[in-house]
Amino acid sequence: MGPSSAPRRLSGMQKQVLSLYRGFLRAARTKSAEDRQRIESIVSIEFRRNAKEVDRKNFLYIEYLLRRGKKQLDQLRSPDIVGLSATNVSFSQTKAPTH
Amino acid sequence: MVTGLIRRAIASAASSGSTAAASFRYVCVRAMASEAQAQQVDLKARDKTDIKTFSIYRWNPDNPKKPELKEYEIDLKECGPMVLDALIKIKNEMDPTLTFRRSCREGICGSCAMNIDGCNGLACLTKIAPSEAGASMITPLPHMFVIKDLVVDMTNFYNQYKSIEPWLKRKTPAAELDGKEIKQSKKDRSKLDGMYECILCACCSTSCPSYWWNPESYLGPAALLHANRWISDSRDEYTKERLDAVNDEFKLYRCHTILNCARACPKGLNPGKQIQHIKQLQLKP
Repeated sequence: MGPSSAPRRLSGMQKQVLSLYRGFLRAARTKSAEDRQRIESIVSIEFRRNAKEVDRKNFLYIEYLLRRGKKQLDQLRSPDIVGLSATNVSFSQTKAPTH
Repeated sequence: MVTGLIRRAIASAASSGSTAAASFRYVCVRAMASEAQAQQVDLKARDKTDIKTFSIYRWNPDNPKKPELKEYEIDLKECGPMVLDALIKIKNEMDPTLTFRRSCREGICGSCAMNIDGCNGLACLTKIAPSEAGASMITPLPHMFVIKDLVVDMTNFYNQYKSIEPWLKRKTPAAELDGKEIKQSKKDRSKLDGMYECILCACCSTSCPSYWWNPESYLGPAALLHANRWISDSRDEYTKERLDAVNDEFKLYRCHTILNCARACPKGLNPGKQIQHIKQLQLKP
């Protein structure tokens, strides 16, 4: 009996984000066990990172991320797709050729 | 100006007279300007620069701030005549992060469709307005979700095109044709003129206010033009089913003959006319 940790009224956009997250987790359930773990970890890292970094009022960017996420979810749902993977690309300062 | 050069060339050739080499006789007959005069003309053109400002819509999804109009200045003397030439020049020399779609550069692929100075059109077919007319504003196709800079999300548009089933459908089995092609008279083929040329650039659909307010339910002039193309095809046997599929309050009858589509089409087609044709066919019992 204490204050609930979840917010009381979710806005339409927050509901969409949560349903997208749920959709990803449900799609992950249909894949094999190790792929399911990888998908869940990638998706949850991405969602939590964006939740921290993106401003709540930046509707334009949130809608762009939602649209991109929906497309990726549609791809993931197809039975031909086996799993997700993510690579980290770091930009190193390369010197220009000196000739 | 050319006649002046010719007159001067004849005068100079005549004055150099009979002592000149044989080549001058050729000059007299053909009246060409001499080398020195040619150099003079070239220098005059090089001195002047014709600066035109382009303000281009920019938005980066990786670094999301508010979208903005960024200004670029181009010397029109060093650039091709079309807006696409200017965009490529800006991307090559000034700002490589400028993003836009392009492919054929001759107005047949429909990739470079964008809004130039308020009118939808293909960048490769739209001439740059003279610099006296002020700055040019280049924005993406109106009322479409932006992926980056001038690139828009066309998936809804393509899905609507797919939904009208743009392929030949026949009921009679193919065996009856003896493996030969389905014949069509020239008169029936000419019924398709004005519809088969559509390149699916989306200029018409994104210029229609009715499509702006109902993009998911109204099919838009491009999809309806193609629907009419298959309805009017004499070889297609599913005409009634096609007409029934479109006969919906939202899919067809959101068209209020605003006719912005005919104005915007870069190929000179008239989607409004084709939509009117479908509506008339719906009236038949």
